[in-house]
Amino acid sequence: MPQKRLSHDTTLSLGYHFIRLVMAGVFIYASIDKIIHPDLFAQAVYNYQVLPGYLVNLTALILPWLELTLGACLLINRWMAGTSALAAGLMTLFVGLTLFNLTRGLDISCGCFSAAPDENPITVLTLVRDISFLILSLGLAGYRHCHPNFKHPGAVYEFQR
Amino acid sequence: MNVTCTGRYLTVTVRQMVFILLISAALGTAVNLIRPDSIPFVDSWSMADKLVAEDGDTLAIPFEDAATLFAENAAVFLDARTPAEYDQGHIQGAVNLPWHDVDIYFETVIMTLDPEAAFITYCDGDACLLSHDLAMLLKDLGFTRVKVLVNGWTLWKEHNLPVTTPSS
Repeated sequence: MPQKRLSHDTTLSLGYHFIRLVMAGVFIYASIDKIIHPDLFAQAVYNYQVLPGYLVNLTALILPWLELTLGACLLINRWMAGTSALAAGLMTLFVGLTLFNLTRGLDISCGCFSAAPDENPITVLTLVRDISFLILSLGLAGYRHCHPNFKHPGAVYEFQR
Repeated sequence: MNVTCTGRYLTVTVRQMVFILLISAALGTAVNLIRPDSIPFVDSWSMADKLVAEDGDTLAIPFEDAATLFAENAAVFLDARTPAEYDQGHIQGAVNLPWHDVDIYFETVIMTLDPEAAFITYCDGDACLLSHDLAMLLKDLGFTRVKVLVNGWTLWKEHNLPVTTPSS
């Protein structure tokens, strides 16, 4: 039995780290083009037609850095409680926006991985992809909540990780 | 996990979330302040404002003026949306010139247009740029009387003006 339990925990841990690295890659990759082209990304944010005009540029300036920061935290496995919760929250927001615009039938760019307004139109595949990332993010948050300390099972928490 | 631990975990989670958000906001602000191609932190996002050229001339045409030109048959309406959207319904008599495939339509549509005629481009939605981009292309090609009807398709339907739909 202990061996089985160990094997189960190891598998979960490996899965957690694999998903963590995948999501790190997703967030970092998603942030690069938006950081390079803030003007184009601002246009993409505006095209969603969900924010008042005065918040469009602020969102376009800060959101890519939030994605990059989350990607970096995921990559180095730090502040994972907050990171995984924010990642799940962000993906929930993206899924909601994608669903909203699909329902409205707006022909706009996703702005997910490229800031260019003429690329990556929102489709059902965009929604499926975002839901997949949301599930992975929720998995990270759930695992982190249930396993707050990997290194020292006897300790209550190791919050700085 | 007991209640105390859960509460403590939530406290730490929220604290980390705030830290991450503050770091992101600081980075976004700082980088925008020092980069040469920075954008304003707050900008006007009115489509009508964006259609105003540096000389003060505007590409946008008021809805009433567009409706008058339509009634007088004095302008050609160009639908910049996709063929699928065009087929679902368009302004009566409008020509489909999808911006995304404009190169394909260059010979079959653009080359047949009279550069001296009046043109009104439209698409759908306040933020839709297709009609603006198409109008700019036509201007570059030498078409002098080109205007954009912002949010044209929605406005046209709202005013119950003549449209062509599959049922009609």
